[in-house]
Amino acid sequence: MSRFDPRGEVNRALLAAVSEYDHTAPHPQGVTGQLPAVRHNRTTLEDALHRSAVFGAHEVRALASPTPDEFTGALRRACQEARGLLLVYFAGHAVTSTSGNELHLQMRTARVLTGDGLPGSVTFSEVLGELVESRAQQVVVILDCCYAGNAAEIWHRFDDPKRKKHKILLLMSVQPNRCILGGDAEVATPFTREVVRVLDAGGEVWLSELYAAVKERMDAAKYKAEADDSQRPQALAPPWDPDADVLLAAGPVDPHDDTEDTPGWFSWLRRPFARVRESIGLFGRTVVALVLAFVAIGATGYGVVVLTGGSGPCEPTLELRVLTDPDLEPAMRAAADAYFASDANTTEDGCPRSGVTVYSAGAAHVVTALGEHSDPWQQPREDVNPQRDIGPQPDVWIPATRADVDRATDAQVERVFARLEPDDGPLAYSPVVLAVPESLDADLPPTGRSLPELVRTLKDSDGTAQVRRPDPEFSDSALLATVGLYGDGADVRGAEGLISRAGRPEPSAVRLLCTLPADDAADDRSAVLVPEFLLRSGVGCHSVTRAERTAVYPDDVPGLEPTFVRVRWEGGDRDVQARDDRVDRFRDWLAGKDGREVLGRQGFRSATGERELLAGKAADHGLTDSVPPADPADATQMDRTLERYGNAHGPGRVLYLLDSSGSMAGLWDGPSGGPGILKQTLTGLGRGDEYGVWAVHGVKGPTHTDLLDFGRHSRKEAEKALGTGRGGAEVRAAEADPRAALLDALAFMRERGAGDERPQLIVYLTDGEDDNRLAGDRLREVEDRARESGVPVVMVMLKSGGCDRDRPGTRVAQATQGRCLDAGDDLVPALRDEVARTGTGEE
Amino acid sequence: MARRLPAAVLALPSLLALLFLTACTGGDAGEEPPDADNRRRIVVASGQDVTGKNGIRQQLIDVWNAEEGPQGFEARLVELPGSADQQRSQLLGALQSGSARYDVVNLDVTWVPEFADAGLIRPLTDAAVRSPDDIIPSVDRTSYWKGKRYAVPFNSDAGLLYYRKDHLREAGVSRTDLSDGVTWDELRDQIDAVKGHFGPQGHEGWATQLAPYEGRTVNAIEAFTSAVPGLRLTDDDGEYAATVEQLTAGVAELRARTSPPYTFDEASESREAESLSAFAEGRTTFLRHWPYVYPTLHETYGKNLGVTRLPGKAVLGGQNLAVTSSTSEQRAAKAAELIAFLTDPDSERCLLRAGFAATRVSAYQEPGTAPACRHAPAYAETPSASPTGEGTVRLPPDRIADGVSFSRDILLPSLREGVHRPRTPLYGAVTHTLITELDALYGPSPREGRPGDAEIAKSLDEALRKVLPG
Repeated sequence: MSRFDPRGEVNRALLAAVSEYDHTAPHPQGVTGQLPAVRHNRTTLEDALHRSAVFGAHEVRALASPTPDEFTGALRRACQEARGLLLVYFAGHAVTSTSGNELHLQMRTARVLTGDGLPGSVTFSEVLGELVESRAQQVVVILDCCYAGNAAEIWHRFDDPKRKKHKILLLMSVQPNRCILGGDAEVATPFTREVVRVLDAGGEVWLSELYAAVKERMDAAKYKAEADDSQRPQALAPPWDPDADVLLAAGPVDPHDDTEDTPGWFSWLRRPFARVRESIGLFGRTVVALVLAFVAIGATGYGVVVLTGGSGPCEPTLELRVLTDPDLEPAMRAAADAYFASDANTTEDGCPRSGVTVYSAGAAHVVTALGEHSDPWQQPREDVNPQRDIGPQPDVWIPATRADVDRATDAQVERVFARLEPDDGPLAYSPVVLAVPESLDADLPPTGRSLPELVRTLKDSDGTAQVRRPDPEFSDSALLATVGLYGDGADVRGAEGLISRAGRPEPSAVRLLCTLPADDAADDRSAVLVPEFLLRSGVGCHSVTRAERTAVYPDDVPGLEPTFVRVRWEGGDRDVQARDDRVDRFRDWLAGKDGREVLGRQGFRSATGERELLAGKAADHGLTDSVPPADPADATQMDRTLERYGNAHGPGRVLYLLDSSGSMAGLWDGPSGGPGILKQTLTGLGRGDEYGVWAVHGVKGPTHTDLLDFGRHSRKEAEKALGTGRGGAEVRAAEADPRAALLDALAFMRERGAGDERPQLIVYLTDGEDDNRLAGDRLREVEDRARESGVPVVMVMLKSGGCDRDRPGTRVAQATQGRCLDAGDDLVPALRDEVARTGTGEE
Repeated sequence: MARRLPAAVLALPSLLALLFLTACTGGDAGEEPPDADNRRRIVVASGQDVTGKNGIRQQLIDVWNAEEGPQGFEARLVELPGSADQQRSQLLGALQSGSARYDVVNLDVTWVPEFADAGLIRPLTDAAVRSPDDIIPSVDRTSYWKGKRYAVPFNSDAGLLYYRKDHLREAGVSRTDLSDGVTWDELRDQIDAVKGHFGPQGHEGWATQLAPYEGRTVNAIEAFTSAVPGLRLTDDDGEYAATVEQLTAGVAELRARTSPPYTFDEASESREAESLSAFAEGRTTFLRHWPYVYPTLHETYGKNLGVTRLPGKAVLGGQNLAVTSSTSEQRAAKAAELIAFLTDPDSERCLLRAGFAATRVSAYQEPGTAPACRHAPAYAETPSASPTGEGTVRLPPDRIADGVSFSRDILLPSLREGVHRPRTPLYGAVTHTLITELDALYGPSPREGRPGDAEIAKSLDEALRKVLPG
């Protein structure tokens, strides 16, 4: 189809306007009533088409209330005669079948029988059947009737293997499945009236413009369909391709045209009506009804043009970005969902005021990002991009403790682009507990002891007992537990010795509670350090049975005190008043009765006073009713504990293996390329750590070369080595031998680690193109050697499904209690976390 | 709070020069001076591509920058999180408040009405799109809202059906090549045949995405529009336009497709990754998935892998590039040029060769007649031959059985006939409603049994009426 100007062609317009019916109510088989307005439709449209300069004097045929035979006869003739544009217009009664799959256009003799009988009508499918056979180049159908919008679906369903129906375009007066009202007896129906006005405006009127203009005018006038729905014209199928359009009129421009600039009939009507709408709040709806009765004078029994404003489409919502701690995420998401649907977030028109997106990131990373990296968070750099690695720039931050705000603020010394405004008090409270499986029978006192005391007593009473804790660099509850565990910090290594080191720590208490029950034996003998509220809301993971646990409350572990913090971004004040309002509403709701109710269901306690549970009974969940709170968390203490935790295992060693074979060329450049991904993990390594990068390529002779010598490096040095292009990381015109390279790496790291307990890690990044050299016996050999070495291997597979069951990457990672990461949405953050766990972190 | 002062304005002469320039040009208030390296930036925000193909996007941008030269503009790709929810949240929040500056945003196709309606992106002129006729019409329609072009399609996506030819052969099924297409009835017959031959253990029908997330909405729309041709839940204005009867037919179709004999055990918990694993591990004979898994699956199964159009309707995915309303007029004009470059026939050919579903018909033509991919040398038609035999990039194998081309005969028709998810500024609420209401089919089974189709449809209809105008 192309842009079609029918002037000069043999065109035809057939207007069928059924205003008079032979059978009307109260006749039992009659239609609802006569349609005097439709008479005006016929005359005004016919006039407009005559003036259009598209249809010649004899090219427009108007049928006044035809019978079905008259209509189909005229239609057939028009189809045969038209060579350019064929325009078919229908106005009158119409009904749909119950499925909505057919539209029956009711002609003069229409009756409605019990059952499916509809004599006197013509189906729209039949009309389409005639039209596809027409010789016209382009057909435009305009329907002004009830359920006109259903025609689009019929068009779509119309069986047309030769694609002839594509020359037929539809303009429909109302959305699908809606009936419209008959209009004012003195003038044409609203849709046709507006069509005529636009056609008559002069100048070229293309179908796409006609549709857009009519729609806009009808929207402005707030015409109503039945049941107080707004009447919305439709077209099949906008958006119009500018090159697939039809010219419908090209009349002279009338200098006295008053449709746009001077107040015409409608703008006259709209203005007093606008005043009426404004007054609704004062006088109530009766006033509106009276005024409407006035404007609807002359309307027939068929219906009136109701001009009530009613509920129009909602305004776009303001988006609130809410960042929280990984352990708080499920609870805050539940709160945000409840808030979204609450009255507090709903306008008088029933529209939501704001959307709320809750997300989380590692607590230590968030503190660093808000403290030291607010600049790249606003304007990301290639090496530091918190927008990608942490998430959206928050409007609201809900850390697990107020002390995090102090930690971040203390670190804000230069180039600060995010200002933190914490509330005075916390939203709720939840102590960090040692949750002991009932099967251990340790008989610990519920309160009054320190964490080291409790752990030692537990281990003394049962030699098989273990204590598990999530990762303190990721979850605040684990860091707070570690504060208690280290005490004065005299023997950090001894304290860490009390914690189980089987495998890697889970990133959050939520994950720990969800994954532990998968191994029944471990579940039964593991006491876990988790926030108390999760014993209530964090134990419903899918299809898992778990050990029952009782909470013991150490008196030296600060509890969780989630605090509401408004974050203001430099320059982010474009909508400051509205945003402040939405943030305030969310805060007030969260801190108020409704928010407390949700947080209570999640297992939280009151933020102040006796710290009683906000809801439910303690005994039902193995909890204790009244718990004296420990001292609140302290920023300096948390920072020091985190540093000690990082140092407890000494600096680490990381060996990167970067597949540099030819097939990596498409996965090389940019931050998502191999070198770029590795570069982003360097933030987990400090000056004390030893690391190196091998470029893996070649199958005969050496199977790798040094890209970065193994040893201590400045970040800059390492970044340079991983820079792509000449002198940096380059793709080689060679294949790779992953088996040989991995065996070399395992031997290399085993040798290095022989003399100490320092954490070690091998990272192997590949596209898996050479996996054929890592199969069968060769794969088993690598698995065995990896298992013996005790060095965890992270396999990074840059393709989908690279970590599926039994894939080489999965098997190597499993053999070493490492991880296999494939092209999933958390690849880079997950890899960075793995490296950060091994290294000492920031320089 | 700090003020971000570009290095260039710290020196007085530069500042004066800037003021002079502003006065001469009539003042474009939002215009920034060049950065320290004398290049003015166009910031392009795009989600991290979870299929690992951001390399090609970066390459295209690099070439545009090179063409601009040292005195021209420099486009910079800023990656957002991989999670679509977080991308949307950041783009909305940042554009509404001004917390970060983006000039070009890469939007999921379902977000275009929301961003356009909120005035966050601007209508585009012809300058932003080269040869619009070449863009696949169904794909191009995702760029419009209320009759105006707000975006240009960058890459598309459509559901496909993958299958195991070896399973079908072993089961003695007469038709083992489905390249010409297959209906749901045939598919169910084939599943019955495979199960009959192998026994139900390990052969669990088809895998798809029914977990409570966007994948469930996609599967629902595919079933609904297959059952009720032409069905649209919302009309052109985003207003609700369906009936209970239509929804009942749709729910019945969805239930028929996904009832236990035909889907695998964990279907109601499975997303892209889980469904792919179920198929890759040989547990199912069929898989509904996106085009990006084709190379991996082909590598695993070789000639035993079949791929064809999804029976019934397939939902369109993909991303479109738009210019933000908040950017200055000067940058907006340049941003439009950038978009025109990134989406031109040459770039689209490169994107197709990198594994994306291209948005232009021309990209799918035979090599030689298709536009050359010159913008990204690594994906050019004649890569320098490697002595090892390992190509410089891994190209997805295009030829499938009997001379059928994957891209031309399977992918392109799927895109052409693809159906849209509801186009409304309230898409977030619509998809949330669909996901939640369809818990009746896929959530925990109530003691009294699952409700009937009509009951689910009625409740869905009521819920959609609540969130949508109309």
